[in-house]
Amino acid sequence: MRPNPVQSFRALTSEAVNDAVRRRIVAAIAVVSLLSLLVVDGCTQCGTPTIMQNGVPVELPEVAGWTGVVIFSVLGLWAMVLAGILASDHLSEPLADGSAVLVLARPVSRSTFALARLVGALVIAFATGAVLLGGSTALLHARNGVAIGAALWGGLACATGATAVASLAMTASLFLPRIATLFCVLAAVGAIAVVNALSLFGTELSGVSLLLDRFGPPLGTSMVSAVAGWIAPAEVPADPVAIAIRAVAWAVAGVSLLVVCFRGRDIPN
Amino acid sequence: MAVVEFAGVTKQFGSRTALRDVSFTLPEGSALGLLGPNGAGKTTALRLILGFTHPTAGSVRLRGGSPGEPEARTGVAYLPERLRLPGRMTVRHFLRLHGTLAGVEAAHVAREIDAVLALTGLEDRADDRIGDLSKGLSQRVGFAQAFLGHPEFLLLDEPTSGLDPIGVRDARDWIQVARSRGCTVLMSSHILSEVERVCDRIAIVNEGRIAAAGRVEELVEPGESLEDAFVRVVRAS
Repeated sequence: MRPNPVQSFRALTSEAVNDAVRRRIVAAIAVVSLLSLLVVDGCTQCGTPTIMQNGVPVELPEVAGWTGVVIFSVLGLWAMVLAGILASDHLSEPLADGSAVLVLARPVSRSTFALARLVGALVIAFATGAVLLGGSTALLHARNGVAIGAALWGGLACATGATAVASLAMTASLFLPRIATLFCVLAAVGAIAVVNALSLFGTELSGVSLLLDRFGPPLGTSMVSAVAGWIAPAEVPADPVAIAIRAVAWAVAGVSLLVVCFRGRDIPN
Repeated sequence: MAVVEFAGVTKQFGSRTALRDVSFTLPEGSALGLLGPNGAGKTTALRLILGFTHPTAGSVRLRGGSPGEPEARTGVAYLPERLRLPGRMTVRHFLRLHGTLAGVEAAHVAREIDAVLALTGLEDRADDRIGDLSKGLSQRVGFAQAFLGHPEFLLLDEPTSGLDPIGVRDARDWIQVARSRGCTVLMSSHILSEVERVCDRIAIVNEGRIAAAGRVEELVEPGESLEDAFVRVVRAS
């Protein structure tokens, strides 16, 4: 009897999602997400801002657009960090506690197991991203009239970034203790977000920060690029197609690295 | 056909050598007992067979293929010494997962589960959470997952640890039933009598080497018990 690889993957993914849902951090995520949406609600209640210029009211829709871009990007980056946090022990824990041994003794490839665990972590991150980005887009659309289509691209950018962060965090967790992996996730996403923001605001970068902005995963840039149309007049960062290609390349490279590293790793007793 | 082939296998963990130039074959349908003191390399040998670790030198073949390839592990069932089961799952849920991973057809999974539950005496505990079971019952769950899908090769590492005397006897009977169906068995154990009753061949491992191997009657000298032979071989090696 040779097992069907698709059925094995589905069964393992289902268990990985169940494991992820049962984690205590998920309750905290739900609370933080709810609070985040309440903050977004507060930030968007004033509708399209108006300022007085020489006693004449002037509509500034671009202010609303900028608010939307900032809110959307920050929430997207939070979903990516969350993916990294969840992935930081979703594969290493069943290896460390020995519960993976029975599964890996079966005719299941290591790639199948690692990818199932990755999907398990990503499902929670994607669901959180969908709630946060969907909720904030709905509020921004209703109150500031931002376009929903751009938010869909932003959602895809967030999912791609989250996949890259989670797969790289999961790979790191095969070699590092969890606390070190968490530090790497926070430091890397934070550093990339900062250099992306500095670059978008026209700061001249050099050295490592330039390399990180040009060649690193475009976590912040891809989010901003996707919803740049909300800013009037549109200030689209250079070559959004190149940014999208780089984002996808990092996600594919992250997942590939995870599979290669896990294949070569000894399974502990 | 050999189910397992070790050819000059050496395995080092840093500066420690767990196995040194070990060679043996396990013919289909046979039952080999690995005996040895703690740290002799028995578990390392089982882990190499399952592809959990790679030899530093030499080669390991499982059913003609590389142990790392899933195809080579088709029909293989494993019961580790340190059994870690997912406490949140019910026994039935856990067995359904392993039935799927073992390749039991979806239409037959429920029937297979009922059969292994009946075999291991767990019918009444099928819907209990594994986390609520005693160590002995958890070990029975471990046996139940190993017997799913009529395995062709059973790898058992200290299989009776945690079982009461009745459980030990039951386990021996379950292994004999599997053997009677043509299943190949490789069992590592400290309990010499258990190995003697279940296995037709024995390999005594000490300090990473196979110090002696053969049928029980070939290893035991006149007037000796298996325990005497074991002690003699280990001290001499």
